Amino acid sequence: MKRIMIDPSKCDGCKNCALACMDSHRMDGGNGVVTLNFTLPETEARNEILNDGKGGYLPMFCRHCSVPGCANSCMSGALKKDMETGHVMYDEKRCGACFMCVMNCPYGIPKPSADGTKILKCDFCNERPEGPACVAACPKQAIWVEEV
Amino acid sequence: MNQCYGCETCKSADKPLENFIAGLPMETSHHRVKGQSVKCGFGLKGVCCRLCSNGPCRITPSAPRGICGATADVIVTRNFLRAVACGSGCYIHIVEKTAWNLKNTALNHGEIKGHKALAALVEEFGIDASLDEHAQALAVAEKVLNDLYKPVWEEMELVEKMAYAPRYKKWKELGILPGGSKAEVFDGVVKCSTNLSSDPVDMLMTCLRLGISTGLYGLTLTNLLNDVMLGEPAIRMAPVGLNVINPEYINIMITGHQHSLFTHIQKRLADEDVIAKAKAVGAKGFKLVGCTCVGQDLQLRGVHYTDIFDGHAGNNYTSEAVLATGAIDAVLSEFNCTLPGIEPICDELKIKQICLDLVAKKANAESVEYAYEKREAQTEVIIDKIIEAYKERRKVVPMKLQPEHGNQNTLTGVSEVSLKEFLGGQWKPLIDLIVSGKIKGVAGVVGCSNLTAGGHDVLTVELTKELIKRDIIVLSAGCSSGGLENCGLMTPEAAELAGDSLKEVCKTLGIAPVLNFGPCLAIGRLEMVATALAKEIGIDIPQLPLVLSAPQWLEEQALADGCFGLALGLPLHLGQQPFIAGSELVVNVLTEGLKEMTGGQVLVEIDPVKAADQMEEIILERRKGLNI
Repeated sequence: MKRIMIDPSKCDGCKNCALACMDSHRMDGGNGVVTLNFTLPETEARNEILNDGKGGYLPMFCRHCSVPGCANSCMSGALKKDMETGHVMYDEKRCGACFMCVMNCPYGIPKPSADGTKILKCDFCNERPEGPACVAACPKQAIWVEEV
Repeated sequence: MNQCYGCETCKSADKPLENFIAGLPMETSHHRVKGQSVKCGFGLKGVCCRLCSNGPCRITPSAPRGICGATADVIVTRNFLRAVACGSGCYIHIVEKTAWNLKNTALNHGEIKGHKALAALVEEFGIDASLDEHAQALAVAEKVLNDLYKPVWEEMELVEKMAYAPRYKKWKELGILPGGSKAEVFDGVVKCSTNLSSDPVDMLMTCLRLGISTGLYGLTLTNLLNDVMLGEPAIRMAPVGLNVINPEYINIMITGHQHSLFTHIQKRLADEDVIAKAKAVGAKGFKLVGCTCVGQDLQLRGVHYTDIFDGHAGNNYTSEAVLATGAIDAVLSEFNCTLPGIEPICDELKIKQICLDLVAKKANAESVEYAYEKREAQTEVIIDKIIEAYKERRKVVPMKLQPEHGNQNTLTGVSEVSLKEFLGGQWKPLIDLIVSGKIKGVAGVVGCSNLTAGGHDVLTVELTKELIKRDIIVLSAGCSSGGLENCGLMTPEAAELAGDSLKEVCKTLGIAPVLNFGPCLAIGRLEMVATALAKEIGIDIPQLPLVLSAPQWLEEQALADGCFGLALGLPLHLGQQPFIAGSELVVNVLTEGLKEMTGGQVLVEIDPVKAADQMEEIILERRKGLNI
């Protein structure tokens, strides 16, 4: 089972991970940051870089927790932990937009979508073979994939 | 990753060069491409602003404005204008120094080599032709300098004299006739500073003003003034590539854009007493090895300097390889594209670095700031220092010569004058070929090389092959020509790569399908050809079946050049977007809106086949418009 590991001390706050995430989940069929619209609320990133208040950064990525607060609080069954990959996956069709997952995640990862009809959450780039886009885009190797 | 030598260098269209660089025991820019492959997306799209201490501000869905309130459109245009103003400043610096050299040459009754070039300028500027040549040259230089130093609110006098009348009229209508070139750069950088202009369209129009000033003065006039001092280009065959480096001589690699700074030294190197100095240390004499645009310039005028100039070795990203051959004893640089990365290579190979212009000062180079009145003493100092370096280094530095690299028969010396002469003193034969469809159209493939549009010269070479295959003749100026010539596309044999009818034209005339105008400054010459063709046919420039491409544009200067192309009404292809993709407004104006204003348009396409398709389509549309 693969997880994204984080070393906050290496993060420079460039947000390339956020752009890569937006690009990886865009709906217009395009590919590459150059043609990505940075201002569309629908292309919001599923990760986030926070200021740690001490001159550094806190890269916030879904941990796909062993005991996932989001999935455990999901009444409609839209969020489920895949026991094989270990990843917490989201089925938009089953989502009732109650946002209990948003309330329950200790890391603040799931976000309500701009139109309030669903949530946005890391899907490990749908298990694409080259790994998650955010990891590939990090110039500092502050995030990486590890088998756990 | 940056410390790894030879494991993963970027691609080059020039395979022998790629292999040579991959095998070097030192790091070059080709090695650093991979380590820099993750780009900042905000910077890439031009939506990162660090004009004030509130920044850097970046545009995202949840933060569509910077702290000051600047939108993506404002941030993108400010960044773009700043780059264009800097690029214009570079070219205006070049023409300023060139004009001063002409003025000093005239005042001191120095040698005038380009009599025809001088006569043409005298006629164009309306100077009294009965004056003696030095007085004429002085008047020419002063007219140029007077214009450069005008305030921004005073229109430059020579614009109307040099520009094609329908274009001048259009520029006047649009309110983009430039004031003094230096003042335009000054006001350009003021306009895009913190909390000044927030009108993206006005800033884009300022870019066009800077483009006109850059194109007519920085490009066109630099060529013509240099022709007066250094001789006019003449069409001939010449060797190119690393094979031109002959280890039996003391070799000086020259880099930059200011050919007139070498006037004295290149003359001196052929003198008997200087050759005797070289012989005293075991060399046969001195040779200048062309690199970057000043090498292209020397190659263009090479017919006047066969004794000290063997040929052009390569473009900007070939310079490290030129040094790595071990047979270069000194680098004389006076402007870009002198890469910072040559410094450690020069140190390692004990190559003496001397800078003639402090705007391009290298950290470990010695400064000999060129001054006309000191040139004689400076030349002697430079020669002695280079001889010293030769003595020190030749015993200890191993040679890695590449005698097979490049070719011996690149067609060079093409200019607006030599091409017309070649055609029998008239443009009609070329126009007839275009009208008959034997030549479908003309493409100027110009500008730099970079390492990120597929690799070194990759897009330039691939696109050019696609264009000639479609019977579109290619004219090249800039580092693009350095790549195209080393890859053999400027040899008559390259006709085999052209489409059937262009092949026939090339074979009949004994020319290459890609014509070599030399340095990036000669983009001004290409635009003179475009103007001459339009004038001959009696149409405006945007009606010509002519497209421009800077497939591997690299630097700010290229953006200022590009703005001139757009002001002339030419379609301009770029391989990569110039950090504007973050603004829908800027993209719309440059790719669509401009068509209604100047007739120009930007196309961005990194795929050579798709780019050639788009360029061909424009050419066919324009042919249809002309009923041919």
